[in-house]
This record gives sequence, structure tokens and C-alpha cells, in this order.
Amino acid sequence: MSYAYLFKYIIIGDTGVGKSCLLLQFTDKRFQPVHDLTIGVEFGARLVSIETKPIKLQIWDTAGQEAFRSITRSYYRGAAGALLVYDITRRDTFNHLTTWLEDARQHSNSNMVIMLIGNKSDLEAKREVKKEEGEAFAREHGLVFMETSAKTSDNVEEAFINTAKEIYEKIQEGVFDINNEANGIKIGPQHSTGNSSIPGGNNRSNGNGCC
Amino acid sequence: MEYFKSGLKTVLGTPDVEDQPSGADIVERLVDRVQHSTLLADRRDACRALKALSRKYRIEVGAKGMDALCQVLQQDRADAEIASYALDTLRLIMHNEIYEEEEIPDVTAKDSHKLGERFTEIFIKKKENVGLVLDYLEEFDFHVRWPALQLLLLLLTNKAKDVQEMILVSPMGVSKLIDMLSDSREVIRNNSVLLLTLLTKSNANIQKILAFENAFDRLFDVIQEEGNADGGIVVQDCLNLMLTLLRNNISTQNFFKEGNFISRILPLLQLPTVDEWPIQRINNVHSVLQIIRTLVSPTNPAQATSSCQQAMYTSGILKAICDLLIANGVPRNPLTEAIYTVAELIRGHNDNQLFLESVKSFESPPKDILLLLLCTMLSDKQPFDMRCAVLYVFQCYLYRNDFGKMKIVQKLLPLEKEVTETCISNLLCRGLFNKEPLNSWFSAVVLSHALIDNPEGKEKLLNVKLSSSDNNPPTLLQQIVSSIQTNDKAQFKIGYLMFLSTWFAHCSLAVESFLKINTGIPYFITQTNRLENEEIEEIVSGLSTFVMGICLAFNPDTVENFKKDSLRHLITKRIGVETFVDKLNDVSRNESYTRASKHPQPTAQNSNSLLLDYEFCKLFKMLEGMIMRALNTLPGQDDSEKLVTNQKLIEELNTTVDSLKNELSEKTNRIEELCRLANDFRDDTDRIKTELFRLQENHMSLIQAYQMKENELESYRRLLEMHGIWVS
Repeated sequence: MSYAYLFKYIIIGDTGVGKSCLLLQFTDKRFQPVHDLTIGVEFGARLVSIETKPIKLQIWDTAGQEAFRSITRSYYRGAAGALLVYDITRRDTFNHLTTWLEDARQHSNSNMVIMLIGNKSDLEAKREVKKEEGEAFAREHGLVFMETSAKTSDNVEEAFINTAKEIYEKIQEGVFDINNEANGIKIGPQHSTGNSSIPGGNNRSNGNGCC
Repeated sequence: MEYFKSGLKTVLGTPDVEDQPSGADIVERLVDRVQHSTLLADRRDACRALKALSRKYRIEVGAKGMDALCQVLQQDRADAEIASYALDTLRLIMHNEIYEEEEIPDVTAKDSHKLGERFTEIFIKKKENVGLVLDYLEEFDFHVRWPALQLLLLLLTNKAKDVQEMILVSPMGVSKLIDMLSDSREVIRNNSVLLLTLLTKSNANIQKILAFENAFDRLFDVIQEEGNADGGIVVQDCLNLMLTLLRNNISTQNFFKEGNFISRILPLLQLPTVDEWPIQRINNVHSVLQIIRTLVSPTNPAQATSSCQQAMYTSGILKAICDLLIANGVPRNPLTEAIYTVAELIRGHNDNQLFLESVKSFESPPKDILLLLLCTMLSDKQPFDMRCAVLYVFQCYLYRNDFGKMKIVQKLLPLEKEVTETCISNLLCRGLFNKEPLNSWFSAVVLSHALIDNPEGKEKLLNVKLSSSDNNPPTLLQQIVSSIQTNDKAQFKIGYLMFLSTWFAHCSLAVESFLKINTGIPYFITQTNRLENEEIEEIVSGLSTFVMGICLAFNPDTVENFKKDSLRHLITKRIGVETFVDKLNDVSRNESYTRASKHPQPTAQNSNSLLLDYEFCKLFKMLEGMIMRALNTLPGQDDSEKLVTNQKLIEELNTTVDSLKNELSEKTNRIEELCRLANDFRDDTDRIKTELFRLQENHMSLIQAYQMKENELESYRRLLEMHGIWVS
């Protein structure tokens, strides 16, 4: 139950791209083929380990529908990571990425790690967006990119864990102020107060390694 | 007053003495100045004056000044003073009560108490206005943040739903409000707790955002700073906010559990002993218990409830509340609530049920907590609501607890009767025939809960006999049937009838024993046929009908005169199918039926109106259709008859399966033995094989050696031959 850090994620993107399925596959290791419209925001959690450190991922799955947009905006500020998801079989969901990204950049803290996800990679026959296009978009906007399938679970683990790695690295580099909970990062219960010097220590030793 | 007048003079200039301006005129001029004056100082003074007039001339200031004040909020952000006047004035005109000095025009007199609400409506009609007030929260200056907070509090009080939606859609609106919780100035922090409570009331979306924004963390921090359960009203406010966040919201509850917040509740229950509980502690503990009950409520999804129950056990909360039950000096209110909480903490959760069983009191010799609770339930000196709470504990203790159910039945059996110590079963049995109706009703309900889904227990209970002094003591069943006939009070009868229904359902053996009692069925028929005016008597007669219906549906066809067909004939002839149906419907139409079916927790205004039990209503709903079918089928083509034969068939098959099982296990043993033997043989063979192999190798090497020697010999022979020494 105990963890070194807790990272808050949000999952965003158009309706029906598979946000809830990605979360379900990651937390429960199962796939639900019926599209169940998310109302507002739902929540899931899982413990992973990054460089042997237990890290709790607290994931907030938002509703993609336009009607809920103003509600989901409230979740940007407090998140450390975001999975921006589109559907490789629906070009329009790819076209909307810019709007999503603008929204996220405007309301989130500047250090939020954004991972671009092209979901439904199992439906190769219906593909409308090439993998290269996704890569190009990610490069242009400085995002990490990955194609996943919530159905076959291909790359799902990696998507969540790589995002966590990225955040972890940023902590090591001292980019994140981990004592400000508004950044979406929380120090684990046993690590707080007395041990709060630990991250600083890591930071220094990391610096030495670089030199 | 003089000061006020002179203040007005400086603002308005000295008026003509003859022509004293009316309040409306003054307000109009002030508003004009607020709107059009180019000097900030002028506008500020006018605003201050408006504020001063807003009590007396509320209608004028509100009607004429609203737009001007909003304009100030928009344009004069840079000046804290004018902003604070504008915010204050707005709050004063939207205030809900009538001011003492307020001048009320005759036309609006009867609606004047709604003025605040009206002005709030006008204010929020422009959606950007709420956003404007929210923006002022970002100002750290107390003179701005404080009136902005107060104004928002008032807006939410007057128009909760609309304002909630507006705050939700304004960017970062909710987040700004949550930040107020961290304000170092207590008055702001404390009021923000109240504000957030109003903001989150019945709005699941806002509740989730608060959870996301670490509201639980901050609230627990505040509670801890304030001294947990012994803290002041702020602690209670924080707990109430938590309750609002959790109630009816599975997502936030799940978040609460996942985030390990359950363990943070514990310090609130670790209470130092005091002679008398201060009222604030009572309120705080009450709120904590409410939070716990929300998390383990029987109406939540079973999975969610049971994982919270588990967490409550591991974090020591169940133990802490049990300690509260056996502690001295706990006042009645939190004690009753604590009993209810324990009930829901153990409901259907076997580990927690076992834990409760093991709790003992502090006195010596220590007594089981269950026994102590039962004594409370069966004592008419205890308050009614507390006795109901204990009943709930027993219902929850027996819920899905096969072991506990059997324990109660087992202790009643004749074999165990020699034991003299008081046990739960004995107390219940005695309670059943107690002269206080409520006592009997409670006992009947607990005993019937011990029989739910317990076919073995139902059959065993038939062997229970009462009072050993008699030569031929009556069985429990006989005693109940005769008690029903001698007791006049409806509550008695209803308790017994519910118990009998539960006992007889799905148990032909019990039905058989009942039909064998001569006075049984005839009495029930007269009960059914009574014409009742009172609702409570309607239930009695309906339940009697129900019991007869069960006798029909689960008829074993073994008792002469009361075989299925004859019983059906009897009912049709003596009661009539329609009346029979009407009587059953009387029960499900009754108000106490509706009330009892709503929630497992027993609820009633007073002891006389406690009539039906939740689990019984479930049984009633389930069997109603079956009884109708049994009544309506023609003789010979009987569903339940088939059921009985099917059951017999199943029993036969079961015996066959059992004997096959035995055979199988014998064979399995034999096979295992053979396998072992075979293994032994294989081991032997392996050993012999290796031996053989070794010997063969030996043999080979010997042959080789022999061959070599032979060759050697041959060469010698040839040598000798060559030299003529050897002649072959």
C-alpha cells in the first residue's frame, strides 16, 4: 500500500477513442467491448515501480464529450501527466488534437508531461491515420508518442509507465516542486516530513553522475 | 447618526433645506456618480455611501445600483477599497432577512422577505458576474478576499443549483475555492469549509473535483490541527463537508478508500475518557460515524462495501467503535449511532462478524459483547431507538453468516439443554414468550434471521422442546402456535407469523409438523376470515393468509386432511380465491411494508409501529407469486407437487452420487496404491538396468582385454614358431 510518490494523470481526447478502456486495461487487465459513455470524470489507481521505487498512479479518466469540457478543464491544473488519446481509425479525432493540446497547455502547469496515444492499433484494416503522422505531430509539439491497443493490451502498460518514468526523471532533475501538491505529485506517507530530504539527495547524486 | 448625515453632505453637497430629497433621489444621484464620475476617489466615496444606505433603502440600491456595482467590480479591480465596498453592498442587498431600519414600500411588503433571493436572481442572470466575484478571491488582501467569500457564500445559500453550475464552468472556479482552505487566516479558512459544503451539496461533478484537488488531505489536516474529536465546531464543519463529498457518490468513496483515508479516521475515535462528554465532542463523533456508515452502507455496491469493511477492520476502526460500545459514560446519542455503525461494519462480512463475536466487556468476569447487547435489546427500560439499533446488529451479524446461524439453533437443541449458563439462544427463546410485545417481536425477528437460507437449521429447530419440568413438554412450534391464539396484541402475532413464514418456507418437514397440530389450520382460517377495520389487524390477517399459502406451496402431501388438494379445496371453499388474494395484497399495500422494504435498518416512529422486517418483506415478495400459482393450478398438474417429487428425485440422486463418490474414493485409493507399487517396481528396474549396464561395460572391457591378450599371445606364438620352438 505504501508508495514513494503518487502521480496524478488525466486521460483526455475525443469521445469514443478508448480512454476508459485504456484505464480499465491498465488497472484491471480486462477489456470491455461495449462503449459506456463516461459521465464527468471517473477514477482508477494502480501501483507500479520505477527504478525499484513504488509509485502510485492515480488516474482520472475524463469524458470526451463537448458538454463535459468545462468540467474536465478543472482537472488539468492538478495533474502531473496527461495521456492525450486519438483513434487511429478516425481521422477527425486526430484533427482535434490541436484543440485538446491548446486547452491542456492553457490550463495545466507548464511541467505536465503529455503522452500522445494513437489507440486501436489492432484495427489495422480500418486505419485512417498513419503512424508516421502521429510521430510527426508528437515531434512538432514535443510530446512522447505511442500506438496502443486497449483491446489486446499492446503497449498499454508502456504508455502509463513511460509517462511515469518521464515524470520521475523530471523530479530527479528538480524540475518539479514536489512539495507543491498542485503539481499533481505527492510524496508517499512514509517519505513525507522527516524524509523529505531524500529527493534532494537523489537530485545531487544524479547531478554528480552527469558530470 | 449626525456623522452619517454629515458624511452624506460631503458626498452629495448640502441640499436645499426646503427640498429634502427622498431616499430614492439620493440613491439615484449616488449611482450616477459611481457610474459616471471620472475620479476614482469620487466613485469610491459614492460606493461607500451606497453601502451605508443599502440597509435602509435596499430596494432602491438594488434596483438602481446593481449594474453600477458590477461595473465597479469589472473596472476598478486595482483599488481594493472600492472593490470591497462594492462587494459588501452587493451582499447587503442580497441578504435574506429584513433589516430593522429597512424602509419597505407598501407594494412589495408581502414579498419583502424574498427580496434577497430576487436580487440574487438578477445578479446571476449575467453569468460573468459570478466569475467576477470568483476572480476577487485571488486577491490576497483580506479586505477583498473576505467580502468576496461572504458574497459567494450568500449566492450559494440563495441559489445553490444555478451558482454551482456557474462556478463549475468558470475556468478554475472550483480550484480557486479549494485554495481558500489553505489560507492562514482562520476566519477565511473556516468559512471556506462552509462555502465548499454548500458548493458540493448534491453535485457529483464538483464533489469529484474536490477529491481530485486533495480536499480530503486538507480537511484531515485541519481536523488534526484543531484537535480531532475534541476540536471545536470547525472539526464538525470539516466532517460535514467530507460527508457531503462522499454521500451517494461511489467515485469519491472509491477514491477515499484507495487513497487510504480510512486509516486517517482512526484518531478521531481514540477518545480520552472524560466524566461528561462536551456537546461538541458528541457532535463530532456523530459526524465521524456518519462518514463511516456512508462508506459501508448496505445500499452501496456489495463489492465496494465489503472492501471498505475490510479496510475498517485492518485500520482498527471496528475495534475502536466496539471499544466505544463497552466503554463507560458514552452518552446515548453517539452510543446508539455507534451501535448502528457496528452493525453495518459487520453486515455480511465474515471476518468482522467473527471479530464482534470475540469482543468482551472490561468487567470481571468479562462478558461477550453480543450477550450484553442482547440484554439491552430485551430490556424495556432501554430507549426504543437503542433497542432497534441492537436488533440491527443481530440482523447484520446473522446476514450471510452460516456459522453464526447454526450456533444459535444448535444451542437450543435438547442435548445442550443441561448447560445452565445464559446464552444468546436461551435469551431469545425466553424473549419470544415475554409478555412485552416488543420483546417478543425482537426475538422473533432475530430467530427468523437465523433461519434464512438455513435448511438444516429449520429442520433441527423442529426438535426443540421447552421447559424440562413438564413430563411432556411442548415443542417450540407447538408453543408458538398456542401463543398466537392466546395473545391479543397484534405486534405479538405479527412477530410469530413472520417467524413461522420464514421457518416453513422451503421446508416441507416444518410444514408437516405444523399441519399435524390440530388447532393450527382451523385457527388460521378464522384469522383470515375476520373482517378488519384497523390497518394493523389487516397485516395480521394478511400474514395468516401468507402462512397458509406457504403450507400449500410446500405441502409434503403426507398429512391426512391437509394434503395439497384438500387444503386448496378448503381455502377455495372457506375463504375464496379472491379474498385470499386481497388479504395478501393488503400486506404489500400497507405503509409499514413499504417502509420496511426500503432499507435493512429497522425504522419506526415508536415501539407500536414497528411491525414488519426487511428480510421478511423480501421473502414475501419472492413467495407471493409461487403461492398464487400453487393456488391456481388444477389438482394433479401441480408445480410444487412436481417440485416435491423433483426434490425426492434429487435426494435419490444425491444418495447415488454419494455412494458413487465413496466408490470413487476407494478406487482412487487403490489406484494410488498400485501407482506406488509400480513406482517401486520402476525404481527396481532402473537399478537393475544400471547394474546390467555396468556389467555389460565390464564384460566389454574384459572381452577387449582378453582380445588384447589373445593378440599378444598370438604374436608370441608366431615368434616362437618362427624360431622353431613352437610346433603347432
